[in-house]
Amino acid sequence: MTRGAAITRRVAGHLARGVVMIWVVATVSFFIIREIPGDPVQGMYESLLQKGMSPQQAERATAVLYGFLPKGTLWDQYVGYMGSLLHGDLGQSLSTPGVQVTHLIGAAASWTVLPVLAGTLLSFLLGVTMGVYAAIRRSGKLGDLLALSGSLLHGIPVYVIGLLLTAIFATLWPILPSGGPVDVDYVPGLNPGYIGSLLYHAVLPVVTYTLASYGGWILAMKSNVVAVLGDDFILAAELRGLKRGIVFRYLARNAILPLFTILALSIGMLFGGSIFIEEIFNYPGLGLLLVNSISSRDYALMGGTFLIITVGIVVANIVADLLYTVIDPRVRSGGTA
Amino acid sequence: METAPGVRIRDLTVVYNTPMGELPAVSGVDLTLTPGTITGVVGESGSGKSTLALSLLNAVQPPGRISGGSVEIDGLGDVVRLRGEELRQARGRKVGYVFQAAQNSLNPLKTIGKQLLDLGRSHDVADPRALVRDAKDLLARMGLDGARVLDSHQHELSGGMRQRVGIMLALVLNAKVVVLDEPTTALDMITQATILRIIREVHEERALTTLVITHDVGAVAEVADALAVMYGGRIVEHGPIADVLGAPAHPYTQGLIRAIPRLSGDISQARALPGRPPTLGTLPAAGCVFRERCALRMEICETVEPAPVTCGGRTVACHAAGHSLAPVKRKEYV
Ligand SMILES: Nc1ncnc2c1ncn2[C@@H]1O[C@H](COP(=O)(O)OP(=O)(O)O)[C@@H](O)[C@H]1O
Ligand SMILES: [Mg+2]
Repeated sequence: MTRGAAITRRVAGHLARGVVMIWVVATVSFFIIREIPGDPVQGMYESLLQKGMSPQQAERATAVLYGFLPKGTLWDQYVGYMGSLLHGDLGQSLSTPGVQVTHLIGAAASWTVLPVLAGTLLSFLLGVTMGVYAAIRRSGKLGDLLALSGSLLHGIPVYVIGLLLTAIFATLWPILPSGGPVDVDYVPGLNPGYIGSLLYHAVLPVVTYTLASYGGWILAMKSNVVAVLGDDFILAAELRGLKRGIVFRYLARNAILPLFTILALSIGMLFGGSIFIEEIFNYPGLGLLLVNSISSRDYALMGGTFLIITVGIVVANIVADLLYTVIDPRVRSGGTA
Repeated sequence: METAPGVRIRDLTVVYNTPMGELPAVSGVDLTLTPGTITGVVGESGSGKSTLALSLLNAVQPPGRISGGSVEIDGLGDVVRLRGEELRQARGRKVGYVFQAAQNSLNPLKTIGKQLLDLGRSHDVADPRALVRDAKDLLARMGLDGARVLDSHQHELSGGMRQRVGIMLALVLNAKVVVLDEPTTALDMITQATILRIIREVHEERALTTLVITHDVGAVAEVADALAVMYGGRIVEHGPIADVLGAPAHPYTQGLIRAIPRLSGDISQARALPGRPPTLGTLPAAGCVFRERCALRMEICETVEPAPVTCGGRTVACHAAGHSLAPVKRKEYV
C-alpha cells in the first residue's frame, strides 16, 4: 500500500469513528432534553397552549426552539431532530429568544478555540523543551526541579490554577484584567487599541491553559527522551561520530513523535477545562455558553454546545493523527500505530 | 597506500558500578593488534568482549567507566585520554565500529541514505556523491541493492539487511581501524560466511587493522589471523589463529573448541563446556577466574591469579598450561 493510500485510510477511519461519536452525543443530548424531569419540551408546548396558542402554532414554536416536534412518537421526534441536525439546524435558544443556537455557538467558538490552541501550542513548546532539559539533566538539581514542577502542575486541577492566577495577578498584584474578553472602550476592528486590549485580556486564560497542560508535556517528554537515550541507535550514532547537533535531532524527533498521539487528548482536556476557565475569567466562549445554558435550562443550547465540543475533539483527533502520520514513516497501514 | 595502524591495549581495566560497588568487566587486559591483521576475540557471553570493544572508542557507557590503562592507536594516541571534538572525530572516521545490536543501530525515522549523508556531514566529507557511490558499492558487495536500501527506512529492511547496513556505515568513511562486535549474529550461515569473506576482502584492499568479536569460534576461524580468548574479563590466551585452534594451551580454549563439532571434527565427540560463565558478581576476588570449571585445577589456582606468559608468539594465562597441551588434538590440526 502506498503512503498516500495509508493516510487516506487512517483519516477515513477517524472520520467514521468521529461520525459515530457525534451521533452518540447527539442522541444522548436528544434524550436528555426529551427525558429530563419535567420534560421542558412538553412543558413549553403546554404553556404555549395555555397562553392561548393553537396546537399547531404551539407545536411549530416548540419545534423552532428545540429542533424537533413535541408531538408524535419518540422515534418520529428523534428522526425530526436528527434531520434538522443534518441541515445544521440546532434549534433556537430559549434564554436569548429568537436567536439560533448555531449563531450563539459561532460567536462563542473563537473565544474558546483560539485560547485553547494558543495554550496547547505554548505548553507543548515549553513542556517539550523543558522535558528534554529535565531528561538530560535528570541527575542534577535543575532536572529534578523541572520534573517536580511538571508533577505538581500536572496534579493541580485546571480551575485551581485559574483561581490562583486571578487571585495573584488580578487581585493581590493587579496587573492583569480579572475578566471579560476586551475593554468596551475600544471600537471593535483592526485597530491597535482593540487588538491590544484583546491580547491583554487573553493573557490569563491562555496562561491558565498553558500551565494546565505543561505538566503533562514535560513529564511525557522527559520519559520519552530518557527512553530514546537508552535506545541502541543513539549510542550507534555517537559511535559513528555524528555531530552533537545531529544526534540531538535524532533524539528529539524520536522522543517527540509519541507525543502527537496525546495531542488530541490534551486539546480535548483543555476544551473540557474551558467550562471552568471561562467561568472564572468571564470569557464568552463555548464553556461559558454551556454553563449559562445549564443554569438557564436552555436545553437546545446545551445540546448544541455539547455537540460542537464533540466535533472539536473529533477534528483535533484527526489533525493530531495526520501530523503523526506525516512525521512517522513507519505508519504504513491502518494496523501499525 | 597508507600503512595500517597498530593498536596497543595496555593494562586496561573497565568497571561497572553495580549495587555491589564497582566491579571489573575487563581486568588488566594487554592486547596488541598487529597492523594489517584481523584479530578475533571469542568468549562466552558476559566475558567482557563488548566492553573491551567499546573501550577502543573510549565509549564505555555509564554506569561503566575505564578505570585504568591505555589504548594506543597509531595516529590517534591514547584513546582513553581523548575528549570532546577530538574523540568525536576519531569515532567513525579513524575507528569504524559495528555495533553489537547492529539491527537496532539505525534511526527509525530517517532513510538510510539520509543517515549516510548525516555521517558524511559530521565528518566533513567533501563529496557526498562519492560517499553515496562508495556506500552503494559496499552494499552491492554484500548482496544488497544499494539504491533501494539507501531509499529505505529501517523498518523496511530485514535484520540481516540492517546488519549489513551497519557494516557499510562502519567501512564507508575508510576508517583504518575497524571493530566489529558480533557483526553476523542476525545472519544465516551462508550470508554469515559471505559477509565475513567480504570483511576480509575489504580489510586486505584497504590495509586495515581489524578486530572481530564473536562468540562463534567457527565463524571467526575462517577470517582471522590471530585469536584472543576472553574469560571473566581477562584474555586467557592469544596467538596466531592456527596455533590457538590447532593446539589450544588454555583449558578454557580447549573446552571451547571441543564444544564445536565443526572444529573438533567429530560430532560425536563435541561436548559442551560444563558449568556456566561467571558474572560480575560471581567472579572470584583472588586466584584464577576459570578454576571453577577447570579440569586441571591445582592448589595454586585458588590463591594466585595466573599471569599471562608469552612464548613463541602465544600468550597464555594458566598455571597448568605447561602440562596441558593436548598432543592428540594437535595432531588433528596440523
Ligand atoms: N551497563 C552495565 N551495567 C552493569 N554491568 C554490565 C553492564 N554492561 C555489561 N555489564 C557486565 O559486564 C560484563 C561484560 O559484559 P559484555 O562486555 O557485554 O560481555 P560480552 O560482550 O562478552 O557478552 C557482564 O558480566 C555484564 O553483565
Ligand atoms: Mg557482547
